[in-house]
Amino acid sequence: MVYMTYLLLIGLVLGLAAVASNPSPYFAALGLVTVAGMSCGILVGYGGSFLSLILFLIYLGGMLVVFAYSAALASEPYPEGWGSWPVSTLMLVYVLLVVCVSVFFSGGWFEGSWVTVDEFSEFTLFRGDSGGVALMYSSGGGVLMLGGWVLLLTLFVVLELTRGLSRGTLRAV
Amino acid sequence: MNPYVLSILLMGLGLGTTVTFASSHWLLAWMGLEMNTLAILPLMAQHHHPRAVEATTKYFLIQSAAAATILFASSTNAWLSGQWDIQHITHPLPTVMITLALSLKLGLAPLHAWLPEVIQGLDLTTGLILSTWQKLAPFALLVQIFPDTPLLITSLGLISMVAGGWGGLNHTQLRKILAYSSVAHLGWMMVVMQFSTSLTALALLMYVIMTASAFLTFKLLKSTSMNNLAMSWAKAPSITALMPLVLLSLGGLPPLSGFLPKWLIIQELTKQELGLVATFAALSALLSLFFYLRMCYCLTFTSSPNNLVGTTPWRLETKQVSLPLAISTSLSILLLPISPAVLSLTLPLF
Repeated sequence: MVYMTYLLLIGLVLGLAAVASNPSPYFAALGLVTVAGMSCGILVGYGGSFLSLILFLIYLGGMLVVFAYSAALASEPYPEGWGSWPVSTLMLVYVLLVVCVSVFFSGGWFEGSWVTVDEFSEFTLFRGDSGGVALMYSSGGGVLMLGGWVLLLTLFVVLELTRGLSRGTLRAV
Repeated sequence: MNPYVLSILLMGLGLGTTVTFASSHWLLAWMGLEMNTLAILPLMAQHHHPRAVEATTKYFLIQSAAAATILFASSTNAWLSGQWDIQHITHPLPTVMITLALSLKLGLAPLHAWLPEVIQGLDLTTGLILSTWQKLAPFALLVQIFPDTPLLITSLGLISMVAGGWGGLNHTQLRKILAYSSVAHLGWMMVVMQFSTSLTALALLMYVIMTASAFLTFKLLKSTSMNNLAMSWAKAPSITALMPLVLLSLGGLPPLSGFLPKWLIIQELTKQELGLVATFAALSALLSLFFYLRMCYCLTFTSSPNNLVGTTPWRLETKQVSLPLAISTSLSILLLPISPAVLSLTLPLF
């Protein structure tokens, strides 16, 4: 389990560096998918399997849209992956930066804080993440309604910004 | 724009600020800020013009970067102290990060460079919303942060005053000048924030009134540059006669109500034995006064006969509602004699 978590964490950092190292958009979208998968795996290791499932589904849906749009908007004949020099140099720099920062902060926080939820799950009635969902619907109902309304508002904003061929604002530029 | 969509967007704009006002939890405060940003984007880009779209894009990038920093800082705070409460932010690292992110949202110097560019690309009504209503939510968060030393916030205020005054000096575009005037006024509010929050609220109230009358007048006169101002005598003579008073009130000259916040802020700074800061603030007001004076000069042009601005331009009767402009203009000129009443209006806020 420790090695699995270790592998997932390294994959997460590598994926983040892969996104940040400025490759072509659809390679970056691939990197984001990697990050999402790895972080959901970490969440499973942490004990939140239901939360991780929800997050992965939502990320998958979002990433699909991002992938489609970035592939449609930026279709290059010679895309830059991590094989090209500027991208790979940048990625190396980012990975080194992460290593430096983690050496600088090492020994402090991560030793004590890595506790899984539901460690004694045979003694409890509710699991942490599914109990959280129930709480979200009961005592967090107002905020949930507000969040739903904001999502609807976002839909209207996006539709208003991208409407039509000549009336839309994005096409004017 | 479709009126239903417009009403939904305006409701979102109102709800965002209200949520931020009402929240004591960082997540909800962040959510309100994001709602504010989202809801104003279609309003900014409603005119089918590349400059407006460019301004919208810049605004979106800046505001989302600031909101992401706020989210990062508040979760760092929760990680370090276990507290999501807005008032319980004590660790220096998240405090500084949140202060800087909020000043990026507000457009305080040295993070102000986006504000003139964005306001220049918008029409005057949206610019008015951007420089008044959109400032309220970040401001409500900023007055709730109490760092260990007042050093950062006060120096941000001082830099903003000077940068706002200096930046506006050489401009001929009115919207850019108004943006720099916004930076300078925000600097005045920030300088006194750590010592008297009710004075900050007073300065914000007065700034909102004065800048509303300035934006509404320029909208009435349909002028966005200094050259257009010279022709305004023919469009609306009475408001042209009153406009220099409003501008000098923005500059903070004594018999007008813009003097009130500056007066009380300098008094408060002197009480706190910050004489150097008070002197610096008073001198930086002179820098701002210079460009307000230039605008006044263009408005009240004494010109030789038979030149181009002496002729009456062809124009239509305006359909703008005159009541808001009338109220804000009279408030921004005449409030100084009842300054105790105005002061007692903002005192119970804190």
